[in-house]
Amino acid sequence: MTARRLVPGVVATLLAAAAVCVLPYFLSDTHEYRFAFVATFFIAALGLQILTGYAGQISLGHGGFMLVGAYVTTILSVDHGWNDLSTIPLAGLFAGVLGFLFGFPALRLRGVYLALATFAIPIALIALAKKYSDFTGGGGGKPLTRVLTGHEAYVTTWPIAGGMFVLGWLLLSGKLGRAFRTIRESEIAAVSSGINLALTKTLAFGISAFFAGVAGSLYAIIIGFVNPDTFQIELSLLLLIGVVVGGLGSLVGVVVGALFIEYVRLYAPEILSWVEAPFGSPLDPKRAGAPAAVYGLILLVVLFISPSGAAGLLRNAYKSLARRAYTLRRT
Amino acid sequence: MRMKFGLLAAALAVAAITCVTALAGAQAPPGVTKTKFVIGGTFPLSGAASSYAPIPVGMKVYFTHINARRGADKKRGVAGRQIVWKYYDDGYNPANTAQQTRKLVEEDKVFALFGGLGTEPQQAVVDYLNQRKVPQLFVSTGATEFGANFRSKPYTIGWQPDYFAEGTIYGKYAATNWPTKKIGVIFQNDDYGKNYLEGLKNGLGSKASNIVTEQGFAVTDTSVAAQVSRIKAANVDVIAIFATPTPTIRTYATMKALKFKPEQVIVNSVSATDTFMKLALANADAATLDGSISTSYLMDVQDPKYANSAGMKLFKAQMAKWAPNADANNELFLYGFAKAYDVVKVLALAGKNPTRGRLLYAARHMNWKNPFTIPGITVKTSPTDPFPISQLKLIRFNSSTVRWAEFGSLLLGRGGT
Repeated sequence: MTARRLVPGVVATLLAAAAVCVLPYFLSDTHEYRFAFVATFFIAALGLQILTGYAGQISLGHGGFMLVGAYVTTILSVDHGWNDLSTIPLAGLFAGVLGFLFGFPALRLRGVYLALATFAIPIALIALAKKYSDFTGGGGGKPLTRVLTGHEAYVTTWPIAGGMFVLGWLLLSGKLGRAFRTIRESEIAAVSSGINLALTKTLAFGISAFFAGVAGSLYAIIIGFVNPDTFQIELSLLLLIGVVVGGLGSLVGVVVGALFIEYVRLYAPEILSWVEAPFGSPLDPKRAGAPAAVYGLILLVVLFISPSGAAGLLRNAYKSLARRAYTLRRT
Repeated sequence: MRMKFGLLAAALAVAAITCVTALAGAQAPPGVTKTKFVIGGTFPLSGAASSYAPIPVGMKVYFTHINARRGADKKRGVAGRQIVWKYYDDGYNPANTAQQTRKLVEEDKVFALFGGLGTEPQQAVVDYLNQRKVPQLFVSTGATEFGANFRSKPYTIGWQPDYFAEGTIYGKYAATNWPTKKIGVIFQNDDYGKNYLEGLKNGLGSKASNIVTEQGFAVTDTSVAAQVSRIKAANVDVIAIFATPTPTIRTYATMKALKFKPEQVIVNSVSATDTFMKLALANADAATLDGSISTSYLMDVQDPKYANSAGMKLFKAQMAKWAPNADANNELFLYGFAKAYDVVKVLALAGKNPTRGRLLYAARHMNWKNPFTIPGITVKTSPTDPFPISQLKLIRFNSSTVRWAEFGSLLLGRGGT
């Protein structure tokens, strides 16, 4: 990878890191709190990007791995007195191992069938969490040990998000990343170039589940409460939609995806009423289907306008700017 | 002489400055100005639980009425303060509840939170609100913990009769009227169902042995056939169903399939609303549902005997005026109205210079009749009784008219009235 190709990415990353450091001075505590959620979605979407955008394996169940991370943190900190932050690596590891194990049966599945299998992950895990209520607090949930202010949530989550981003980048820029991309393009080509397909695919699941587990752990810490229904299928779908909207295969696009996930969920009913306003609001925006309908709508719009998501738009903008600069220099 | 005068002047100046600083320090708490109260709550306006969305709307209609009319003191609003009611959608998701609640407290700077809906959503913000000393009043859930934990969470208080109280009433009624009848219980195996079951045993007292079988199920189970057949095999005279709506409907359907209809069927009030009974009818049949017993504490909007009560007339008139397109027959609007009545009362009782402490005091010393509840019910709290409404009337379902009808007298679920 030449230095020149790295430059825009590095510059963008440095700018983003600077923005993250500076933002707290401009945001109220309430908004810092929301941005902390953006950080957790960023980590989870990063994991999903590695699995889906890079390794080409679809997952409709990453909310399930977030659940695992969240509960590991809750149980260890509430029932066993661990410091909540110290549980994060273990939470990620636990989720990662589960993801890795899931990777084995998933080897036989592709496309729609793989998607359906991953669909079952959060459903099964939610049921387990509700069943073993003595352990997990059951459907009623379990409060965590402390309440964080918005600012505390922000400074807890963003450094970890930054660390996970660097981790992800290191993983993907090495041999493993190339193996992932080869598998995505053509499994036959991958096998013929000596890549161990089975191991690489299960590693992809394991690593992405690790990320989701860390995200879930932070999610529980900043909410201060955990219950199984928070991780319903809607969350998993939203993660995937966020990754697509951000741009499949782009690490930078994940930021856009994370912002999308957080803010669309909060403002879904409003968005729906803006959309319906010209038609005289025939549907009651505050209805059962509101958030889901909005996600679907936005996904369709994004796929029509820019199938490679926000990252694709940014890349094209950068290219046309670069071309103009090149042409100017020539003349 | 001049020295003394100088000293006096200095003393007066110090006194004046201290006075002014003290007054400045004694600012109004957040959400209170000379002209308004800003209050808020979070509700599931969208998503799976959005059927509860009429509640904040019902509250809004009542607040609008209070803001518009001149009260006994000839002022509009509460002692001249207009009520600004801000409510946000949390989609029954604790993650959203946490964010929206902080927005209400930190950005909108509400005086207090009222009516927050959902056991888990409100559980997610209990610690935050109590730490910040923000009153979390009249939460919309029957989970006993919101009242029971009043010593460790003094800023939190419920409103409707809690599940334990409701279970107790079923138990008391069974002990008195069915002293020898065998009871079988099918209950959701979580805090919700267990809460009801404990109440039932509490109410039965020495007759708790009448419960011959307790069949628990997980809320995620797709079938309750095993549980229902065991209850049938135990030859019970009474079956008590303590489950959220979906498993309740499933239980009725299973009873029909197994041709099992004991003498009496008790069904918990959460799952006994008109909406759910209609669904149950569609999935089971009229015979299985007929005669089911539940409880109520609000006037039935469609019951002709309440049509001329002052409360019902006010409700219908205000709904027609401010929310003409809403279906006023939806009991949830009345629920909101009734709750809003108590909100206005405690705001008024917080006095001319309201503080959160005074508001909390008012909420812990309630003692009045709410015109929208069943006549005879007293809304009462005390420092040792954190449950505002603890009285219920039993109601019986008539499958042919698809309506509930009250019977018997008002029963007490817990504590003293």
